[in-house]
Amino acid sequence: MAYHNQHQPYTSQTNYNHAPTGNLAGQQVNDPFQPPQRGTPPSNQNEFRESRHGDDRQQVLNPQLNGEHAQGHVFPGQKAAQHPHQNLPPREHFGNPHDNFKIMSQPPMPGPPSVSAVQRSMGGGMPLHGSNQTRIDSGDHSSSVRGVLQASSLAGQPPLQKSFTPPPSSSPARHSPASNMQGQNALSSRSTPPSMIQPSATRTQGAFKPVSFVGGAGMPPPPLLGQQQTLRGSSTPSTGLGYGPPLPGQVASASPTPVQNSAITNPLFQGEQFKPPSSQFCTQPDPAMQQYPPPNSLQSPHQHPTSVQPPPFPEQVYPPSSGPASAMGQQMTAVPPPLSRPTYVPQPRPQLSQPSGAGLPLPPMPGQPYTPSSSVQGITHSGVGVAPPPLPGQPYQPQAVVRPPPMSNVASSMNATPPSSSAVPQSAAYAPVLNQPSSVANRQPTPGPYPGAMSNITNSMANMDMSEANRPINLMQETRALPFRKPVEQPLRFETNTNQGTLIPPDRKNCNPDVLRCTLKTMPHSQSLLNKVKLPLGLVIHPFKDLSSLPVISAGTIVRCKRCRTYINPFVSFLDERRWRCNMCFAVNEAPEEFLHHPVNKTYGQPHTRPECTNSTIEFIAPQEYMLRPPQPAVYLFLMDVSHSAIESGYLQIVCDSLLDHLDSLPGDARTQIGFLTYNGTVHFYRLSEGLPQPQMIIVSDIDDVFLPTPENLLVNLRESRDLVEDLLQQLPLIHNLNYEGEGDTYSSLGAALEVAKKLMTATGGRVTVFQQSIPNAGPGSVKPREDPNKRAGETPTALLNPATDFYKKMALDCSAHQIAVDFFFFNSLYIDIATLSCSSRFSAGDLHYYPSLHVKHNPMEAERLSHDLQRYLTRKIGFESVMRIRCTKGIGVHTFHGNFFVRSTDLLSLANVNPDSGYAVNLTIEDPLQDMSSACFQAALLYTTSKGERRIRVHTMCLPVVKSPAEVLNSVDCIAVVALLSKMGVDRSVTASVADARDALLNAVIDPLKAYKDTLPQGMTTGGVYVPRCLRLMPLYMQCVLKHPAFRMGVSTKLDDRVFSMVNLKMQPASYLLQGVHPDLYRVDDLHDEGAITVFEKEVPQPNILPLSAESILQTGAFLLDCGWRMYLLVGRQTSRSFINNVLGAPQFSNIEEPMYSIPELKNPQSEMFHTFVDWLQGSRPHYAPIRVIRDDMREKILFFSHLFQDRTESAMSYQEFIMHVQKQLN
Amino acid sequence: MVLMTMIARVGDGLPLAASMQEDEQTGRSLTDYQNQAKLLFRKLNNQSPDRCTIESGKMLFHYFIDKGICYLILSEPSFSKKLAFAYLEELSSEFFVQYGNRVSSVTRPYAFIEFDTYIQKTKKSYMDSRTKRNLTLVSSELQDVQRIMVSNIDDVLQRGVALSDLDDKASNLASISKKYKQDAHYLNLRSSYAKIAAVVILLVIFIIYIRYWWL
Repeated sequence: MAYHNQHQPYTSQTNYNHAPTGNLAGQQVNDPFQPPQRGTPPSNQNEFRESRHGDDRQQVLNPQLNGEHAQGHVFPGQKAAQHPHQNLPPREHFGNPHDNFKIMSQPPMPGPPSVSAVQRSMGGGMPLHGSNQTRIDSGDHSSSVRGVLQASSLAGQPPLQKSFTPPPSSSPARHSPASNMQGQNALSSRSTPPSMIQPSATRTQGAFKPVSFVGGAGMPPPPLLGQQQTLRGSSTPSTGLGYGPPLPGQVASASPTPVQNSAITNPLFQGEQFKPPSSQFCTQPDPAMQQYPPPNSLQSPHQHPTSVQPPPFPEQVYPPSSGPASAMGQQMTAVPPPLSRPTYVPQPRPQLSQPSGAGLPLPPMPGQPYTPSSSVQGITHSGVGVAPPPLPGQPYQPQAVVRPPPMSNVASSMNATPPSSSAVPQSAAYAPVLNQPSSVANRQPTPGPYPGAMSNITNSMANMDMSEANRPINLMQETRALPFRKPVEQPLRFETNTNQGTLIPPDRKNCNPDVLRCTLKTMPHSQSLLNKVKLPLGLVIHPFKDLSSLPVISAGTIVRCKRCRTYINPFVSFLDERRWRCNMCFAVNEAPEEFLHHPVNKTYGQPHTRPECTNSTIEFIAPQEYMLRPPQPAVYLFLMDVSHSAIESGYLQIVCDSLLDHLDSLPGDARTQIGFLTYNGTVHFYRLSEGLPQPQMIIVSDIDDVFLPTPENLLVNLRESRDLVEDLLQQLPLIHNLNYEGEGDTYSSLGAALEVAKKLMTATGGRVTVFQQSIPNAGPGSVKPREDPNKRAGETPTALLNPATDFYKKMALDCSAHQIAVDFFFFNSLYIDIATLSCSSRFSAGDLHYYPSLHVKHNPMEAERLSHDLQRYLTRKIGFESVMRIRCTKGIGVHTFHGNFFVRSTDLLSLANVNPDSGYAVNLTIEDPLQDMSSACFQAALLYTTSKGERRIRVHTMCLPVVKSPAEVLNSVDCIAVVALLSKMGVDRSVTASVADARDALLNAVIDPLKAYKDTLPQGMTTGGVYVPRCLRLMPLYMQCVLKHPAFRMGVSTKLDDRVFSMVNLKMQPASYLLQGVHPDLYRVDDLHDEGAITVFEKEVPQPNILPLSAESILQTGAFLLDCGWRMYLLVGRQTSRSFINNVLGAPQFSNIEEPMYSIPELKNPQSEMFHTFVDWLQGSRPHYAPIRVIRDDMREKILFFSHLFQDRTESAMSYQEFIMHVQKQLN
Repeated sequence: MVLMTMIARVGDGLPLAASMQEDEQTGRSLTDYQNQAKLLFRKLNNQSPDRCTIESGKMLFHYFIDKGICYLILSEPSFSKKLAFAYLEELSSEFFVQYGNRVSSVTRPYAFIEFDTYIQKTKKSYMDSRTKRNLTLVSSELQDVQRIMVSNIDDVLQRGVALSDLDDKASNLASISKKYKQDAHYLNLRSSYAKIAAVVILLVIFIIYIRYWWL
């Protein structure tokens, strides 16, 4: 089938392949873990030696890349990635592929019922925009939010609750035991006739009365809507929702089909061995409620890193391999699922809109070991307070780990908890295991990088009940997926395992997730398991991120594993004082004598307390072995396009001004060199030798064979020729002036200029910055316009995404060999062929910036952005002649790289320059099953020369637990990393196949893991809804936004250059920047208030909620700020309160707001100050500047704003709700 | 023509400063020479002659040790020796003024890499042998340059290697003779076993013979 074949080459599918692992491993000709060149002491210098002579060596080292070289010019990563595919069986595909398109071409879906009711509930605010569909959604959304508000405010006081977990003051509802019941309540709802689920028929039972009451009474006003929600929430089998868009009548009147029916209709589940009793099933409580606290009840003060430290996450507990806990787990595995469990389960009425809090133990998954611990909980929580008797026929194992109440210091308490089964189950000391994560998760609006349940997972397999953090979320019900605040991620800490000996690094904390993150927070133990979960496995790295604190070590010898050259890190284990075991290759190494001395507290014989062993991000000052040549000086060369249109745009003035302002802050020392070249049809050199009265301009007109007119003084020492440089920068905009004779030159000989720049810099290496405005059309490397402007909305031919000439790639490879990086600033208004030009940055590890249609007068927003970006660009840190190597635990292989670099050998990236804004990603495969390993480690080491001529090594280490079941993997996924990696893989796919293919692949990448997840859930739960693990809750939303990103969107007129640059940007951005661009944040800013504000630098920063990216969030009466990462838009509604317009915008009334307005006046009133603190805080959260543009609601430019509302439907793309329905259709 | 300039601490051979090489212009790789220079720095000690010229292939190393700091250049043979040492001395005086008191305390290689700028400038002035200053330098007998020792790079680098070679050989010999002894012992044993076995077999045959045929 042609479709299948199309899917095959998609790089993301590498991990998904159903091929046996051995097959994959066999193809990896070069085992990256063989240390052939690194074994012997003299080859200490290898890392750097390779960096100088990589070109010839690369062919030897990497057979995969060899092929690439033979073929010419393909992106290195892609080739390597494709390789494994060629011999693999076709990927199993499920779902009719044609369905994918059906829904796209469908007419707008009929809205769900009660449109009018919904609109009433909007509380006066009419949606500005939108079809039926969006209005409906808004109704859903607002009503459920209201439900939350009411429900939680009521649920704060249930009498029952006081007898349970001491509720944290921040969010009482969260810790209510109700949710524990809730799932079980819902279980019984399955067999309940539909009429009983109607809100009006809600009954309560016993102790649960308050909760049920809340659910009933707290329903939002429109009764119809409430009804509908209830039905959905009660996990009505998919009669209504499963078959496409629900018709109004259908949903309301749908009778829940018995479970058996759905089981039959779903062939996937017929072979299911384990069918838990239906009464054990839980339905989904309204997730919005448990997930998102009402703003009033939970204004977490832990949102910003500078504020109070958030409670640390529960630490990971690694069981001793032969310890009692794991033994228990094994014992449990053999025990059949206890059917008698319902005995202990109280049976309250199903209530869906309950404000739920603490975790509900879901029934055990098929094939999962079952632990009675949840039964214990059930008892405890229902107030019985007695330990339950052992289940019949089952050796009773009390839940071993006793957890103190959640309010205490979680980390310390978990540390103190011995993982032994000797502890007595104390019903008094509850908030037991399963409750623990929920309390943590509740305090943070979204689970952190390591959900609390993780500790259970590794602690004992027996705990695999779904706790709160693991509970699936039904996206069909979830009206608001987005958290109100951005979660603050904390690195995971590891519990010290005393079994390994006494010399364990005391603080085993992973490095900052912003620096190094893995798509899966638990490592599947084999490739087959990875194929089963169908998630991409990879690392997203931001290695040179600006860090606030970075320990720097100046050691005589850097302690590394003698076999695999891994740097010593917190996750190694010490056998005794001198010997340590490498955590990558498990070789035992001898530590040098000096390693026994602690440099800070001067103790002896405690090597595990040294900084190397306590910090997972650390920087070493490299000794001589790491330098092949003396460290190079900082060399900056600026190439400026001075063709006619470039001069006309006026960028030269901005660039020269910025350079003049920041000459002092250019990173460098006394050796810093600087040079300038300009070019149009000819190349202009500027001689800046000391002693000249003024700069000399030398024009070389032979651009086909360009040469250096003078051997020296084109690159000069900045300090010594400072006056001349300043003089030149002042004169440049004057020299290149349209009024001047001969400046009407419309040619641009970029290729010649780059060649000559390379010649200038070969001796040293450094950074070439190119400012390019017009298409290079003269001399070597000239390109022709390829774009057909009439076909912008349609399918982009793949050829246009690929370079037209290999001139720039060859140039880049040459540059990379000489440690020269080429950075680009594009200012074009016409087609410039970024696809071709960007090659020169891609392979030389450069940086790209794009200011579409920049013009000083006509497009001041981009001009402002340029000047601010230049400030950042010129002053940020820079690393020269660097290489990065990624090491993984034995058995894990690196196979595809994303980013701008040159791949020199299987795991070595050559980066001529490295800057703090460049991100990288790699795809991983599990080549050998990780047998008998409790954890897998990754280490990214970056060797670079600072601008001060120091050679340094920055090392980041991360350690993840290894798990064996799909459910565990799926319940701890790093959504951000997955989205980042998938979009990078999508770009690769677009370039090799087509954009349409990439879209299909991305869509499948959403569906496949959800399908895999569905298989892990008990069968009855999965009907009628899109169930996702909590950690993947946002993935469909983000992926939906990715599909609407300029890189992948279809049907919207997208300039080819915009599309290509978006792709390039996706490839090279670190995850946090990428996500901000993919999914901008929307805030309402006309009613900022102090409530929940955080304090940053003694300023109160208001924290408005993040709104869904939908027109329904936009009101005529408000002002909305859209933060797109690199730009911000402020939309002012027609009926925005006068005070905002007066106090913040400084205009008397709406119609007087300036147009266009690019800056917001700083006025002396509290409202304006508050607004500015907020915007400044947003600006401060990123290293670059995002200019703000004010858009009046009656302006044409508001399309700029509305085009970012990615949750809405466009002519050619689905809305979020449609997307979810589409996903659901594919799942069934 | 001076191709490379390096400054290092004599005590441990830690490089302190160096001037970047212009690989491209001279068209030859200096990596080998650079590695030789690094090895040379490790070999040098306070007992080494403080001025020396070392041949290495077609190139010449000149070095000059002053106050525990070694200044070394790589030059073409055509480059005047006098100029070379004058250049080295000029470097040494300037370097000592700028960084002399900090030399003993640094641990990081190339800590004074900024000195490169000065090196480059000085080099430039010495490059051009026609300048008046250089002509006078060449003509004047600044010091007894002729007496400066000339040796070969291999000799310098191999010094000490011979000793360790000998040591290796000796220990090798010892171990081999030990092995010989063991082998001889083993062989002895085996041959005596063989003899005993033969006798025993003969005896058995004899007994069997007596048992079945004689009786």
